[in-house]
Parts: sequence; C-alpha cells; structure tokens
Amino acid sequence: MSILYVLIPLALLLLAGAVWAFFWAVGAGQFDDLDTPAVRIIMDDDEKPPEKSEP
Amino acid sequence: MTTSACFHCALPVDPDNEFQVLIDGELKPVCCPGCKAVAELIRDTGMSSYYAMREAPQPGVGRPPDDATEWQVFDRDDMLAAFAELDDDTAEATIYVGKMYCAACSWLIESTLAAQPGIDSADVNPVTHRVRVRWQRANSSLGNILGKLADLGYDPQPLAPESTARPEVAEQRAALKRLLVASLGMMQAAMFAIGLYAGDFQGIEPDMQLFLRLVSFVVTTPVVLYSARPFFAGAWRGIKRRRPGMDLPVSIAVGAAYVASIYATLTQGEAVWFDSVAMFVFFLTLGRFLEMRARHRSIDRSTALLSVLPNTVTRIEHGVETVIPAGQLVAGDRVRVLAGESVPADGTLTDGQTSVDEALLTGEARPQARGPGDPLVAGSINLDGAIVLLVEKTGPDTTLGTINRLSERARFARPEFVQLADRIASYIVVALLGFAAVVATWWYVHAPDRAFVITLSVLVVTCPCALALATPAAFAAAGTRLAELRLLVTNGNAIEALSKATRIVFDKTGTLTCGAPTIVTTSVLDASYSVEKCRQIAAALESASTHPIAAAFALGHSRIVASDHRVATGEGVAGTIDGTRWKLGSANFVGAASTSTGDAGTIVYLGAEGDIVARFALEDSLRPGTADVLREICQLGPEVSLASGDNESAVRRVARALDIVDYRSGCSPEEKLAMLRAAQQDGDTVIMVGDGINDAPVLAGADASVAMAEGALLAQTSADVIMLGHSLAPLVVCLRTAKQTMRIVRQNLAWAIVYNGTALPLAAVGWVPPWAAAIGMSASSLIVVLNALRLSRFGGS
Repeated sequence: MSILYVLIPLALLLLAGAVWAFFWAVGAGQFDDLDTPAVRIIMDDDEKPPEKSEP
Repeated sequence: MTTSACFHCALPVDPDNEFQVLIDGELKPVCCPGCKAVAELIRDTGMSSYYAMREAPQPGVGRPPDDATEWQVFDRDDMLAAFAELDDDTAEATIYVGKMYCAACSWLIESTLAAQPGIDSADVNPVTHRVRVRWQRANSSLGNILGKLADLGYDPQPLAPESTARPEVAEQRAALKRLLVASLGMMQAAMFAIGLYAGDFQGIEPDMQLFLRLVSFVVTTPVVLYSARPFFAGAWRGIKRRRPGMDLPVSIAVGAAYVASIYATLTQGEAVWFDSVAMFVFFLTLGRFLEMRARHRSIDRSTALLSVLPNTVTRIEHGVETVIPAGQLVAGDRVRVLAGESVPADGTLTDGQTSVDEALLTGEARPQARGPGDPLVAGSINLDGAIVLLVEKTGPDTTLGTINRLSERARFARPEFVQLADRIASYIVVALLGFAAVVATWWYVHAPDRAFVITLSVLVVTCPCALALATPAAFAAAGTRLAELRLLVTNGNAIEALSKATRIVFDKTGTLTCGAPTIVTTSVLDASYSVEKCRQIAAALESASTHPIAAAFALGHSRIVASDHRVATGEGVAGTIDGTRWKLGSANFVGAASTSTGDAGTIVYLGAEGDIVARFALEDSLRPGTADVLREICQLGPEVSLASGDNESAVRRVARALDIVDYRSGCSPEEKLAMLRAAQQDGDTVIMVGDGINDAPVLAGADASVAMAEGALLAQTSADVIMLGHSLAPLVVCLRTAKQTMRIVRQNLAWAIVYNGTALPLAAVGWVPPWAAAIGMSASSLIVVLNALRLSRFGGS
C-alpha cells in the first residue's frame, strides 16, 4: 500500500495541471460561447459551392 | 403557414410573385428580391446547411442587398478610429449583429467571413449577438465586412471599443472556474473518502488514515476558499443588511465542517467531513451556475437602444455635407435625413416636407405629416422627403433615451414577491440556526463528545439545498423548454406571474395586428377596369414610394410600368401610364368628393385625369389565428384587455373582431402604465403583451411582459419573455408551461419540506452521521432536479 504515498501526490500534480489548463482555456475565451460548439459538429463545412446553374 | 411560406424568412408569399430559389435541386418560393438574394448568396457560398440547422427563420430582409456603398463610409480614417482598434497592418472591431437568432446564424456568419480574403479571424457570440473580427488592412476593410453581413440579411452595427467591455463574460468565466474547481475537488474528495470509510470498517493503518485525510484536506481547500467564496460573501452581506439568506447556514455548515475536519486531522480525531463539504459546495455552485446562464440570456439594453438609431449621419456645416458617426452629434448641428432613414436625434425640422412613422414611439400606425418648424423625435422614420433637422437633444436626453430610463426604473421597482420570498427564507434560516443551537446546547450538556458531530449533521441535513434548488431548477428547465418552443425567457420571475395571470393586456399595432396596412377591399367605380387591372396600376404608381402604404400595394410582379413619378408628401403619388396621367392618394389629391369613410381604416383613391376609377380600403389586418389564441387564453383563465395608442375607431374595430370587451384607445405610455397599476391594485396579476418602444415602460411595470421579436428591440429588452416568429400561438404554450412549472415548483418545495422535516428530528437525536446527511442532502437535491427536468418534455415536441 505504500505505493499510494507516491501515486496519490502524482495524481494531485496531474490534477493541478488539468486545473491550470482549464483556467488558461477559460481566460483565452474558449468557453465564452457554450451554445454554438454543440451544433457546429453537425454542420458540413466541406460542402462545395454548387455549379452556377442559372442563366 | 399554409402552402407557401418564404423559404428564407417564413413570411407568407404572394401566390402571384415569381421569386424562387433553387436549393438542393428544388425550387423554393421566396417572398421578395431581398430574400432571394440572401438565399442565393447562402447557396452559392456552399452554406445551404444553414437552412437545415437554424432554429428560427430570419425575419424580413427589408433592404435590397445591393446598396453596399452605404458601408464604404466606414472605411474612412476617422470612422476606423472611432470603431476599430488599429495595428500597423491589421485592425480589429466588434460588431453588434441584429437579427441573429441561433447557433446556425453564428455558423453562417463565421464561415462566410472566414471565406473572405484578408480576414484573419471572426468570432461570433450568439448569446451577446457580437462578432469580433480581425482583418488585414491591405486586403479587406470594415465597410466590406459590414456590407457582407448586410448581404446575408443581418443588421450590422459597429460598436465603439469602450462599449464592448462585457461584465457578463467576466462573470461567466469566474463562475466556470469555480464550478470546475468544485467538481474536481468533489470527485477527488469523494474518492479518498471511499478509502477512509472502507478503512473504518476493515481497519486502516493510522499513517495511511492521516495521509488520506491530509490529501482530502489538500483537494477540499480550494473548493472552500475559492469555489465557496460567493457564499461567504453573500452570508456577510446578509448579516450586514440584517436579512440573513440561504447563504448564512450554508457558510456556517461549510466553514464549521471544514475547520472541524482540519482539527480532527491534526488531533487524529474520530472523523473528517471533507467529502461532505466538497459535495455540498459543488451542488450549490452548480445551481448558481445554471441560474446565471439563464440570466445572461437577456439582451444588452444599451445596444438595443443604439440599433434603433442610425450608425452615421450627414452633417451640414457651412453648406458642406460630411458623414460622421452618429455619436459625434451635438445640439445645434444641422443634419440631413433622407427618405427611409431614421431620425438620429430630437430636434426641429428646418427645411423640407415629409411624413414620419412614429409607430415605435407612440404606437400610432399612420404616418404623421411634418413641415418646417415641427418637432421630430429620435428613432422615428422619415418616410418620403429629404429634410434638414436642427439637433436639440442627443443620446440619453432624447425622448427615446427617457423612455429607456423609464423602463429601467420600472424594472427595479418590480419584484415584491421576490422580496417576500427573501424575507421568508431569512426566517427559515434564522429558525434553522436557532434549532441547531438548541441541539448543540442540549447535546453539549448531555454528551459533549457527540455534540459537534450531531450539530454538523443537523446543519448539513437541513441545508436548504433542495429548498434552494426547487425553484431555480424548475425555472431553468422551463426556460430551456420554452426556448425550444421559440420563447426566450429573460427573467425567471416572470414564470410565476405568468402562471398566476388573471389579466392579459395586449397592445394593438404589431401585436394583435401585423403592424403594416394591407388592402381589405377594392371597389371599382369605373366598369371599364377590372379589379386586377386597378391593383396593377396602383402597384406601378406606388413602386416609386417608400411609404408603408406602398408596401400594401406591391404585387411583386407587374407588367405595367409607370413613368414620370411624382410623390406628394402626405397626399399620394402620381405617374404616367401609356400616356394617361394617373393619381393615387387621398380624396383631395385625386379629386374625389370625400365620402364618409364610416368604420373603415384608410381610404385610398385611384383616378385617371380627374375621373375616379377605384377605391381601396386599407387596414392593419389581424395576425392570422389571433382569435383562436385569445379564445384558448380565456379558457386557461385570464381575462383579456386591449390598450392601444391608436385612435378610437381602429381600436374598436379590432376589439369587436376579437370579442374583447375591455379596450382603451389613444393611450400614452403613462396612461397604459396607470391602467396597469390600477388593475394591479384591484388584485390582478397583469401580463402585458406588446411590441413598440412606447410599450417599454409598460412592459417593465407589468407583473410579466411578453414582446414579439419582430417589434422594436428595446421593447424586447425590457420584456421578460420574447416570442420569436410571427404568430401569437406560442403565448398559449407559454402560459401552460408556466402553470406546469409552478406545479413542479410546488411539488419540489413539498418534497424538500417533507425531507427536511423528516431528516431534522432524526439528525437531532443523533441517528444520522454527517456522511449520511451529505448523501441525503444530495439525493434530495437530485430528486428535485430530476423532477424539474420532466419539464423539458412538457407538451411534446
């Protein structure tokens, strides 16, 4: 069980890293819009403009 | 909508018109050249999936998209300096985009701008309706970007840099950070708590126990000191104001459990409660976060006020005309206002004849004639003549600004039941604290070693968490559900008022009616012409006019072309067709004997060389389905009233058509507000449904207010609920959902009270350990939230 004395502090370090990364992302404005990204994935960005068919 | 609704804006399409768009191999009908151009632009740039993804159609394009030159003025250096932040070769600006409604809109804007040459980045925020654009000054320009947005059918409005600071964004960022810290801390603390509890049953080395407790302390500390800080601050504010809220027992429980756990850790005591503390804070923070999100959905008021006014004005100085940003206007300036533009400031007309549309300010649908010496108010629309305005008041000093301030004040003077709820909550809180103190004293006397644990259990188990979540959770779920039904709730309090509504007051113009006149009857007086022929001649004559009445005559297609147009302000139009001089307008103008108009609305005559050929009766027609909606509302309980600024006969006609007994005409905003207050004094819960800016103070003074999204933006912003779309039908759904929401709130409150009532004595006699108290508290909250989520399926899809 003494391995826990190493693993848990290690896990806490990772946790601190995750919190730091999240704070950075929030500060950079990545979470300012919580609505659009949810639907953006279903939008086809690669749709080609159609050929001009009109006279 | 029946067979043909416009593919782009969903307005009904005149079956006679020929506008169509080829999308995905299918010809779709559109209502006007503007919509056709926008739809084609969207198709040709490969963005057709916008139509599949959008939540609401874009309301009327309004403006033909080819006058992009008006945006060129924003490329001048002084304009750039006013609206953009400039670097050596790039520039950045924030643009408010009107008529943006959903995520699909923001995708369309972002993708379209990104595809333009010279644009580095375009970030759209659909919640605040803002686009942040960065472009290379060599390859693009602000005018280009604004023109492009206008081409897509939106209403772009560049914002001066100082007006773009967004307190909401900062608040949301802080709340997100707190929520994340609380959730991670809660999960970690719970994990280590499992180890500690397992140790209690299976045995654990004292060293390992101490280590796990220290680790729990490390992960819980940020939760208490960072995430829970608003609760401590709120508790302190409550104490200072001598009105303790829910924050006080929360703070005491969190603080006491945290400090006692540290003490137990240091002294090798019996138990720690770090997990309970973290879980507690997480649930509370989550509730606050959801509440904040709902609050932020309301629209920025100052921007809405801006967007009624023009971006730029033409100032005349010593005979020279220069275009300047509207914000630089000062009293004493002379400004040229062309036909179709809105008046930028309050002032006096000094030169020219015109008629203005003041419907936004007075509710009067008919154009008002104005000549030299007459006053003009900011926000009204100059309909048919170029005029010169001597500016007297600008910005917040204008009538428009005053109305805005009035509505702000009414907004702050409102929520009595909210204050009542606060007072009751503070009694509950004081009672809880008193009870906890009694329990603590009793146990301290009889069994001092158990006193702290039991008091802590009492505080945690009776935490008014379920009680506190009962209402916001239900309101948040109702808000989401209503948004799916295209009803935006900007103020959660409105739901309670909507559910209790006993009287609903409607505005007339633009609410019960469409807000634009249409031809009701055509009487042909000269048998040699057909009705169809008369309509076509009238359409050809009116094609030169920008007057709202002209829109009623527009046919979309007409093979008859008139030449030599002359527009007589406030009178009518004249033109030559096949060598015959035609006139269309008032009886006087055409030369007809003015017959009694009786009950009808506006009468327009058509005459050829002095002979009267036809008579058109125009009326602001009712929205389709309005009678059914009112009948359903009456079945739900509330009574219906009508209050309008329009004249007696027009209001009476509408009231009769809809069986409304209680109606008032010629009301100023103050009179409407007074009428509302009188009804409220009689014990009525009053809902106001309106659309005009003049309604804004009235909307804010009602117990709850609903605005049509087509109406002026300002009215929407003081409204509690905004209806998107062109029908009143969602109002019925809204009332039903509000009633269901209050039913769920009552269930939730009942459950929370039953739970607390049962748990309290059990905890007081010492049968509930703190961990069970925390689980019980969380479970009761979860039940409350799940019950609230039932609302998200209310009324089917």
